[in-house]
Amino acid sequence: MMRNYRIPVGLLLSSLFPLLLMPLMAIFLFAGKGGPAHFTQALSTPDAQFALRFSLLIAFATSIVNAVLGTFAAYVLSKYRFPGREALLVIVNLPIAIPTVVVGTSLILLWGPIGLLGQYLDPLGIRPMFAPAGVLLAHLFVTFPYMLGAVKPVLDEQEGAYEEAAYTLGASPWQTFRYVLLPTLRGGLLSGALLTFAHSLGEFGATVMVSGNLRLRTQTAPLFIFAQFEAGNIEVANAVASVLAIISFVLFFCLLRFTGKDQR
Amino acid sequence: MSIVLKELSKNYNGLPIVNHINLEIKDGELFVLLGGSGSGKSTILRMIAGLIEPDSGSIQLRGRDVTRLAPQVRDTGFVFQNYSIFRHMTVAENIEFGLRVRKVPPEKRRKRSEELMDLVELAGLGERYPPQLSGGQLQRVALARALAYEPAVLLLDEPFGALDVKIRGNLRRSLKEIQRRLGVTSILVTHDQEEGFELGDRIGVLDRGNLLEVGTPDQLYHRPASQFVATFVGGGNVLVGELCPGGVKLGSRVVLCPPESALPGHLEGARVRLMARSENVEVREDARLLEGHSLGEGQVAEAVFTGSGQRLRLDLPELDGVRCILPVPAYGQEHPQLEAWVAGRPDGHLFQVGQKVAVGLLHYHLLERTGLRSLILVDFVQESRVALDFGLRVSEATGAPATLLAVGGVHERQSDIVARLEKLHSSLLEKSPNLKMCARRGGLSEEVLREVREGRHELVVIGEDEGPSVTRLGPWAQRLLSKSEVPVLLVQQDYPKISRILICSAGGEAGKGDVWLGGRVAKRVGATVSVAHAVSETAEPERKARVRSHLHGAVNSLHAMGVEARARLLDMGTSTSVAQTLLHEIEEGNYDLIVMGMPNKTALATRLVRSNSRPFLFVPLSH
Repeated sequence: MMRNYRIPVGLLLSSLFPLLLMPLMAIFLFAGKGGPAHFTQALSTPDAQFALRFSLLIAFATSIVNAVLGTFAAYVLSKYRFPGREALLVIVNLPIAIPTVVVGTSLILLWGPIGLLGQYLDPLGIRPMFAPAGVLLAHLFVTFPYMLGAVKPVLDEQEGAYEEAAYTLGASPWQTFRYVLLPTLRGGLLSGALLTFAHSLGEFGATVMVSGNLRLRTQTAPLFIFAQFEAGNIEVANAVASVLAIISFVLFFCLLRFTGKDQR
Repeated sequence: MSIVLKELSKNYNGLPIVNHINLEIKDGELFVLLGGSGSGKSTILRMIAGLIEPDSGSIQLRGRDVTRLAPQVRDTGFVFQNYSIFRHMTVAENIEFGLRVRKVPPEKRRKRSEELMDLVELAGLGERYPPQLSGGQLQRVALARALAYEPAVLLLDEPFGALDVKIRGNLRRSLKEIQRRLGVTSILVTHDQEEGFELGDRIGVLDRGNLLEVGTPDQLYHRPASQFVATFVGGGNVLVGELCPGGVKLGSRVVLCPPESALPGHLEGARVRLMARSENVEVREDARLLEGHSLGEGQVAEAVFTGSGQRLRLDLPELDGVRCILPVPAYGQEHPQLEAWVAGRPDGHLFQVGQKVAVGLLHYHLLERTGLRSLILVDFVQESRVALDFGLRVSEATGAPATLLAVGGVHERQSDIVARLEKLHSSLLEKSPNLKMCARRGGLSEEVLREVREGRHELVVIGEDEGPSVTRLGPWAQRLLSKSEVPVLLVQQDYPKISRILICSAGGEAGKGDVWLGGRVAKRVGATVSVAHAVSETAEPERKARVRSHLHGAVNSLHAMGVEARARLLDMGTSTSVAQTLLHEIEEGNYDLIVMGMPNKTALATRLVRSNSRPFLFVPLSH
């Protein structure tokens, strides 16, 4: 297959250039326009600092919670056959299909001050919406399928063979999980956690609904960028945007490294 | 005894996968469970290891009842077909795993794993990871891992299944040697009979969840009891012969009864299955050189050179009329054929196709007679239960497993048929624990005939109790009767007790099969038998004498079986037809079961069936 590749590859590149590559370049070009001084100054405002820190914190928490929950879900769905399993499989993957704004709305309708549950919690002083807890709830919902999707195929592939082998060798269920299953899941866990982290970091639709976009309280980095842009502070918005982009790149390359290693 | 299984059973969806298995395995023995796919062999092994819970029965390992124990505490070593080697651990870590979870100190573990790697010929590969090893090496790791903690028993589930032939041979020899050296009691599961023969101290042959026979490889090869084992283990020839005073009659030839296969109740005229392995069929150019029992002159129909010898197919005109179960007769074949294997001669002489040869049997063996495996047709359309109730009683009486068959139309869903059948089946299981079931779709008679073949059933039970009697024995039933190779029992009304049986030999030449089968049923249920033949007053005296002697012979055979019997020479008198005479006798004698030859023209049978509601047993002439 040594056909001439110049024409198809050229066509592909020329269509991808304006679609993917140029927008990425634009961020960095604009961010660097005012020079390094402007850039650091834009990043050092308390609002920008808070937004970035808050975003990283939420992404970290989301990854941890979903790593545990998603692995557990994958284990149960892969290992057990029970009535309603098929339906549950669809439901846990649903967040991928639902628009994030809808997720935000539904969370408000559940936990908000007049929501289904929120109306009873409100008098007790528990108000998860328009607070960091609400942001975490939204992110857990939206990113749930990523962990599951990374771990379940690994478990499915084993079909319980490793566990059976470990049991006959005398390993207790805990020892089997600790020494046999967990190590084989390492690749899946890492890539699942990285994907979750990356998606959480960039989440906008659901966050904007449930956070109330309160600066220095619930404003994540993407919300901050949007707010600054609307206010006309394009340079500040750009600076934070380029930081987000860099973090994403790093995460992405880590992901490639890990999955590449795993397939060796 | 290292391993004792008692009444071990497991069902899936109401079907017995493992059916009341009883087995004792001695210390240090390498026992092979041999069976095809779906025979339940792996299920048994997994139940011993605790990976599957049995429905009933018990498992003892070294005198300890482990039936309800978790797999971790059973102390078994298990080798899986797909290796199940932990990919993220090195070879040494894999081997040490069982010791690690048993909290054995690292230095001891290391020492043990090195010993084992020497044993399985993997010395020096301890630091490798599984993806760097070949399939054969992985299975050696699996074996070492299973042996590391010195388990009470070693269980091997098709351990060579995923390997290519050459590696398989090497590994087999290693396994046998290791097993001998360590003296660990082992069970190996395989579908490969060659493997079973090479490895097994003893072999148990499984078929559809039933342990058919247990024996040494030599016993199973040379003296199998059942036809299944005879054909599954090695091939060869299985012929249906007839017992006669001099031995076994095969066509025009008689061979002596082999001494080791003395049949209980040696019965003249009884059909027996004679098995001869290909290498025990003697082929000579000159009849005077034959050392075994001569089968007369034959002709080479097919000759295949196999290197070390020649595999021949021989036409044997002198065996005409003998039913050949194996080799399976080819379509349009003129004479019965035998398969022979002759060792190559030093002078390189080969037999040629078409060559006339003298054929003999050097060694042969008679297979055990079995109970009637009956197939009961379940009628969901008319909700009729007569066939079911009667058939279950008959199968109970003959001591053989019965199978329920439901045949649905092509427009019905298989799952619907199965669901209905399952419900019925489970309601009957308590009374008949050995009851099996199967569901089919398509034309009634065709599906019944097909199931008879595939399930190796020996009796078909059908019911016809609905509608006016003139519609009975309709087109499908007639098709079944005309094509069935096994007896068909037609039930029209429930007869709770069979105490009087009539064997009609009026429908043409009397088949000995009727007498044999009728006698067998009579013996089991304790019934008396009348053997009847109708002759017209005008028949020649010679014919009458022949009939009389035939009836006399039949009664004698029945007496020999321990059945009370009498002959009835029916004078047709004023009756105009045989049917009328027989009907008169049937009413007069108030019989509970009528046995007759399978009608090639169904007119007589139809007439008899439609005129009364007693059960009829039709026996094919070739039976």
